[in-house]
Amino acid sequence: MQATGLIPARFLTIIAHLVLVIVILWTRDENIKMSLAEEYSQSEFDQKNTEFIVALSITLGLFAVELIGFVGGVTMFMSFQGLLSTAAHSAAAIALSYFLFDQWPCEWYWYIFGFCSALPAITEAVYIIGILCFRKGF
Amino acid sequence: MYEIFSHPELRRYKTSIFSKATLLMLAILILTFIPPLLIVYRSYGFWLREATYREQPRVAFKKEFILILDLQNGQNPVVYSTFQHYNQLVQSYLRIPVVKAREEDINGDGKYDSLSLDIDVPMNAADQVVGVKLVLFFYYKLRRFSQFHMESLGYIDYSSSVPGGSLQVFSDLRLRQKQLLGYRGTDTRYNNTLVDPASPYAETYSLASIFKAYSSRNVTTLLQDPMKIWSAGRAGDSPFRVSVLVNYPEEVISYTPGFWYLIKWGWVQYVSVLLIFLYIFNKVKVFVFQHQVVATVVETPITSSLGRKDKFS
Repeated sequence: MQATGLIPARFLTIIAHLVLVIVILWTRDENIKMSLAEEYSQSEFDQKNTEFIVALSITLGLFAVELIGFVGGVTMFMSFQGLLSTAAHSAAAIALSYFLFDQWPCEWYWYIFGFCSALPAITEAVYIIGILCFRKGF
Repeated sequence: MYEIFSHPELRRYKTSIFSKATLLMLAILILTFIPPLLIVYRSYGFWLREATYREQPRVAFKKEFILILDLQNGQNPVVYSTFQHYNQLVQSYLRIPVVKAREEDINGDGKYDSLSLDIDVPMNAADQVVGVKLVLFFYYKLRRFSQFHMESLGYIDYSSSVPGGSLQVFSDLRLRQKQLLGYRGTDTRYNNTLVDPASPYAETYSLASIFKAYSSRNVTTLLQDPMKIWSAGRAGDSPFRVSVLVNYPEEVISYTPGFWYLIKWGWVQYVSVLLIFLYIFNKVKVFVFQHQVVATVVETPITSSLGRKDKFS
């Protein structure tokens, strides 16, 4: 029995996560200020700003990997990858909502990135290579 | 045709210890039991650190007091106390009043509810009283949680520019806590007497040293919002009368609750969020195993009888 209900769930959670990352990219000032001391210099702000932009850009890059794998049909019907992706992106969506509304310090974003962006992207990449190069799942 | 009866059929999913299914189940278990704890903890009020209860304290007037009447025109004050040594020290200012003290238990519950104190100080015609200072001493006991015994004060202070003939005071004796009380055991930190009746030194009886020691305590009593009536003018030789009515009302007392009280309410909070998570993840587990998202061996009631010697279980 194929878990066909998983595909729209996966799509929705990926898009929700993507939208939140883009919103955070536009309104990142408060998050950066929360991770600095009360008195901060412009150079400290710029350094944190650059770091944060790098994190968010890598996230967008990993999104591209995952969307290519999913929408391109490569891993659309792999139910385990679908489950993992859905779980990771929904956790990210919840965590990033808190990140945005409770104004978490921007250091904490790296944890969300690790579990919820890097992990599904890596497993996605492994599956894609497996399918394209080693003819897995055929 | 209608449905007459139904009962659930059990489908078992089996797998070996080292498999994707076990890993997934472990992840789901962690996600079911840890997030409710985080949610409940981060939304404040998980451990109830303070609770309140009502109790009427057992108050008894110690039958000790210090009375100081200030006279006009810089004359020496009139002093009286129930401490023999102090009276000897202030002999030149001493006058012996007539004291009537009566404690009443109005509702018959074995605890006094009010104190009526009348002090009539004999006066000369030339004495003009412009101020009264009265310090009353009480025994104060709380019983319900910790056995809290203390000796406490009530202080009445009045001064007027017009010389008077009597002062009437109506007030309540209230508990003032700067710190939470305990929930068990005996608490006699403040049971030591504020004025040692055997001490011959003037220092012990000075209001300043009494109040200094008293205000450093974390739990005290005070006469709150006293209503005072000063009647101006006094007929020649008639005594100066101080009448005090002190009520002992029921108090709301703050204390730190005990271990099982905390656990009880923490458990209630945790379980109420846990139920939601259990429901959601049950649905997830049904979906995952029914659609074989991870590979397991499926055993239905029909297939469970395969390979068994008797086919009845």
